[in-house]
Amino acid sequence: MKRFLISLLSAGMILAAGPASAAEKLTVLLDWFVNPDHGPLFVARERGEFAKRGLEVKFIAPADPNDPPKLVAAGKADIAVSYQPQLHLQIAAGLPLTRIGTLVATPLNSVVVLADGPIKSIADLKGRKIGFSVGGFEDALLGAMLARHGLSLKDVTLINVNFSLSPSLMSGQVDAVIGAFRNFELNQMDINGRPGRAFYLEEEGIPAYDELILVAKNDRLGDPKLRAFIDAIEAATQYMINHPDDAWKLFLKGNKDLDDELNRRAWRDTLPRFALRPGALDKSRYARFATFLKAQGMIETTPPVASYAVEIK
Amino acid sequence: MTRDKETQGSDNTGWRCHDGGAIGLRIANASLAFAGTPLFENLSADIAGGQWTCILGPSGVGKSTLLRMIAGLGENGPVAGITASDGAALDQRIAWMGQQDLLLPWLSVSQNVALGNKLRGEPADGARIASLLADVGLSERPAALPATLSGGQRQRAALARTLMEDRPVVLMDEPFSAVDAITRARLQELAARLLRGRTVLLVTHDPLEALRLGHRIHVMAGRPAHLGTAMEPPGETPRDPTDPALRALHLALLAQLGAAADDPSNGGAP
Amino acid sequence: MKFLRPLIVFAGLLAVWQAVVSVFGVAPFILPAPLDVLTTAIARADVLAGHAKITILEIFLGLLFGTAFGTVSALTMAYFRTARAWLLPVLVISQAIPVFALAPILVLWFGYGLAPKVVMATLIIYFPVTAAFYDGLRRTETGWLDLAQSMGASKWAMLRHIRLPAAMPAFASGLRVAAAVAPIGAVVGEWVGSSAGLGYYMLLMNGRVQTDAMFAALFVLAIAATAIYFTIDALLRHALSWQPETDPARTF
Repeated sequence: MKRFLISLLSAGMILAAGPASAAEKLTVLLDWFVNPDHGPLFVARERGEFAKRGLEVKFIAPADPNDPPKLVAAGKADIAVSYQPQLHLQIAAGLPLTRIGTLVATPLNSVVVLADGPIKSIADLKGRKIGFSVGGFEDALLGAMLARHGLSLKDVTLINVNFSLSPSLMSGQVDAVIGAFRNFELNQMDINGRPGRAFYLEEEGIPAYDELILVAKNDRLGDPKLRAFIDAIEAATQYMINHPDDAWKLFLKGNKDLDDELNRRAWRDTLPRFALRPGALDKSRYARFATFLKAQGMIETTPPVASYAVEIK
Repeated sequence: MTRDKETQGSDNTGWRCHDGGAIGLRIANASLAFAGTPLFENLSADIAGGQWTCILGPSGVGKSTLLRMIAGLGENGPVAGITASDGAALDQRIAWMGQQDLLLPWLSVSQNVALGNKLRGEPADGARIASLLADVGLSERPAALPATLSGGQRQRAALARTLMEDRPVVLMDEPFSAVDAITRARLQELAARLLRGRTVLLVTHDPLEALRLGHRIHVMAGRPAHLGTAMEPPGETPRDPTDPALRALHLALLAQLGAAADDPSNGGAP
Repeated sequence: MKFLRPLIVFAGLLAVWQAVVSVFGVAPFILPAPLDVLTTAIARADVLAGHAKITILEIFLGLLFGTAFGTVSALTMAYFRTARAWLLPVLVISQAIPVFALAPILVLWFGYGLAPKVVMATLIIYFPVTAAFYDGLRRTETGWLDLAQSMGASKWAMLRHIRLPAAMPAFASGLRVAAAVAPIGAVVGEWVGSSAGLGYYMLLMNGRVQTDAMFAALFVLAIAATAIYFTIDALLRHALSWQPETDPARTF
């Protein structure tokens, strides 16, 4: 009798435990190797914001920043960190992606030159060599910036330096670089003793845009996991603004190799640029940038923003 | 030593010293060791000039090594004690023919025949090449590549090359062993005719070949190796192998070879 | 008639490609259909031709320098024992380091012009050419060398008339490998830093999410590389026409 009751109790306990409370898995592809731009993501994880909402998030850093959106569009990952300008090109190429949130709400891209160099304004770029890392639309951005000074792309030489932006600039192999992130490359050059001067794109005739956004595949938009993810990011960003130093320590917890001067400075410079409302969307801002790209000949049509950017519910 | 044009003849017979006798080889106390094992120790022998001397022996006894030693080949350079019978060095007076035809595959037959000239940077005598090719029966194929020739044809080309060198001493290392019996017989006759009057040292493993072609036959045996007493078969070369007079000599040679093979100082079976 | 079979194979591969795209509904930004790639290639023929010229030039120069350095190194190693002791490790290391790792350094040293790509292509083919030629020089038939020695040939005459021609088949093998891998060096160089060339164009089109253009450039590259290989192969076979070909599959 005693034995029967024990086995009954065990069976009951197993049944009562219910379905395994396995957290829902999400794969998030970063745009680049882990860096302070990804602050809210990692702070959210360390603060338990994902676990709290029943999410188990895996972050993967790619070797090629062009891959993540394609992989999400192909259904191989759930969310990708990408760039708003790239999104417009991807939509034009037919990728079934939608922007579901914003990570960094200002442009980070800038044209950087040596501070002690001869280039004091965009007009001085005439006849110079400009390094870039292939994103696909550098010539559009540069073309617009040069046009304001009566110049065109024919007046400069574009050289693909493949992410070796600061070294090529510091070694003098190019006179300027575009695609340098103002929170990163400037600090890197300063630390190396060759400070740079930056021309911010949005101050040089480019419409403002979101540098880092979150995209998901169109058929996933009804998934409540996505909203939960955005909520977690929102909570983390809030914490970062309120407790910047503690947040930095949390970020380092999962990324010990980023504890150096460069990343510390980048963290400080990126902090004011994170989207305080990651889920919010300014449709006119997106439409304005699309119009700009069309005028530059990078895309042919400007589809309605709602077809590729939403506030996820 | 000069080439005496009068005694030359159009079939290249005869290579005579001014005094009328061809040069022989004098081996005096020559020694050669390989990896610590002595192959020859104080070997002494006289090879008669103007005649064919054949050397027989079991495998591995050192027949090829002897030829190479005389030719000055091998890593250690010329060996002391080997001179011509007139006392002078043998430098540039020897033509060597190996077991394989050694025709260079990228050169035509004519070019192979003139190889010596090419290597020494001398102009080649085209008429002489043609004449030699005719002698060995290859005048139809002067521009052919060795790959297109049969085994017998290649050995004939090698023979022509040897003759082109026009040296008084000719060393031949089993040159006809790689062809079939009929071709071998024909090549033996050809060689006997074209090399008449030169000093030929022929290494062979075939006692019948030695009996056909040799004026003197030695059996090499032992380790360190030595040359046995010479057998001198009677009659003009090339001899008729069916001649009954040769039969007794053949048996004697076989007996000598058997004894040489069983020689304990050989270090066991080859 | 000789070209019919490869053309059939090529057409077959295209058919399989088209089938994969249609049957599996592969997204065009992952794998575009062959027809789209073709139309894009034709539409951008002039742009592609311009980039192709540059990449082909890089490959060609890489082959030239790599072969030159390779032959000199092989000869040096074959004839000078001390050189061999020092050069052999260099040779092995040059092969062990992946070109990708060296590329950024080379770009920093040589800039973004033609130089680093040519250097990279040269590096990639240096080992196969040197190793093959060195092997060939060392493995000359001893019989030929004996014959030459007995004929009174000098060391120089033996090199020129025997070792060199005898080493040509081995050298040719090395050269064939070089022809096949030189394009890799050129393209890797372009990826790391350039403003022209097929590798650069592939990267650019990838960034613009114009996958069909990227594949078009890839195709042109493949055709160019194949053409270079077969040209060199034909030249070598003509130069070495004396070599008898023994077909292992032949039944006697």
